[in-house]
Amino acid sequence: MSKTYVVPEEIASANSLEAKLEHLKNIKGSFNVYRVDCGSCNGCEIEIFAAITPMWDPERFGFKLVASPRHADILLCSGPVTRQMYYPLLRAYEATPDPKVVVAIGACGSSGGIFHDAYSVWGGIDKIIPVDVYIPGCPPHPATIIHGLATALGILDQKLELKEHKNGSNESPEIKTSVFNNILFERDVLAEAKQLMGYLYGRKLFDKYIKAVKESPNIKDTVQTKITMERLSREEEDPRYRECMKVIHNNVYLNHIKQFKEIDIADRIDLSD
Amino acid sequence: MKLLDMTRKYGNATYNYPFEPYKVPEGFRGKPAYDYEKCIGCTACAVACPSNAINVKLNEDKSKLVWEFNCARCIFCGRCDEVCPTNAVLLSDEFEMAVRFDKDNLKERGELDVECCQKCKNPFTTSKLISYDIERLKKAGWDEATLAEKTKYIRTCPECKKNIAVENSTQYFVRKRK
Ligand code: SF4
Ligand code: SF4
Ligand code: SF4
Repeated sequence: MSKTYVVPEEIASANSLEAKLEHLKNIKGSFNVYRVDCGSCNGCEIEIFAAITPMWDPERFGFKLVASPRHADILLCSGPVTRQMYYPLLRAYEATPDPKVVVAIGACGSSGGIFHDAYSVWGGIDKIIPVDVYIPGCPPHPATIIHGLATALGILDQKLELKEHKNGSNESPEIKTSVFNNILFERDVLAEAKQLMGYLYGRKLFDKYIKAVKESPNIKDTVQTKITMERLSREEEDPRYRECMKVIHNNVYLNHIKQFKEIDIADRIDLSD
Repeated sequence: MKLLDMTRKYGNATYNYPFEPYKVPEGFRGKPAYDYEKCIGCTACAVACPSNAINVKLNEDKSKLVWEFNCARCIFCGRCDEVCPTNAVLLSDEFEMAVRFDKDNLKERGELDVECCQKCKNPFTTSKLISYDIERLKKAGWDEATLAEKTKYIRTCPECKKNIAVENSTQYFVRKRK
């Protein structure tokens, strides 16, 4: 979609960078924020309201939500700008007294986020009106919102910068040696662990399991490994890890042992105890 | 007064955030941190990313593979973290992400060397991915002889591999017909 709105001359001239910075200096201790919801999923709104609870209390540095754009210094725009919200957004923008600061909040506000290529959205506040501060996040954490507003006011500095990496080596990243001398075992353990507990806890489960298996006196001996595994899973405090370690033993470890020797039913760990 | 007494009893719940650092809880999904040294350019993250925040593309003159992350579009779902085989992208604790005026500051780029196909000389993957593959095959218990024999085609692009396979099989048919 092409850009249709052109900022009128008088608004553009009243909103030069110098005017804005001067204005920000004047309103540092008390500023009014008007929130425009341009078709957001309301996740961002919930976080904005979380950010103005006593937990975060942004009134410490003068943040106040107001009910009309005519009272506002800062426009806090969320959502990917649906077609229906195009004119309301412009009305709010033009109604705000100059100079005004526009803050785009959320992944949607900054660039369209998850909806960026949907047919009914413009894909970001900056496609319509000039934006000064971007707060990414979906939804942004209240601390991120407060950081964004503090950045807008110049209390805090922005942390992120464009990063470019070039001319790295073509050497392979380090690969850990396998306990079985075959990384396919580790691969299967990791896959099973992620399937059981998700990517975050799965990784922890993987570490715990590999550590446990290494403690076995002889890794290829199913009886000894079973005893070690039972002992260590009993020592594990979290019942989720306790159970999942046994499942991995039954499903992955024994499956792998098959290529060296026959296994029998007694090698399996009973999950019920 | 009663309220003040109560506050005295329970203490102050407000985080003093902008004036002192805030510690995020464990498991917080902050900005994905990219480790350029570890990335092999396998594009798994770009395929998994639901909002196309990560793009991995050849640059214009096809001399480099460019990994590009745009934080403005990221929805912090953690799927890149989940699929990355080398843990080159991991969700970090970073939550202070706001930028002023220039949206480009939200981006991160990494350039990787491309590997050209032995046969058709077109770029098809990164050199790092190939060294990673070979390294892994070594760790999977393959000795040098098998490795040399089996990785013959590793520097050939899928398209050429297909063509070679077709050529070989048609040869076989022709000979048989005679
Ligand atoms: S950024 Fe995320 S939470 Fe905010 S409106 Fe868009 S989809 Fe909803
Ligand atoms: S966290 Fe999700 S949206 Fe963000 S870069 Fe990773 S896969 Fe993409
Ligand atoms: S999945 Fe990991 S290794 Fe592959 S391109 Fe993405 S960051 Fe790089």
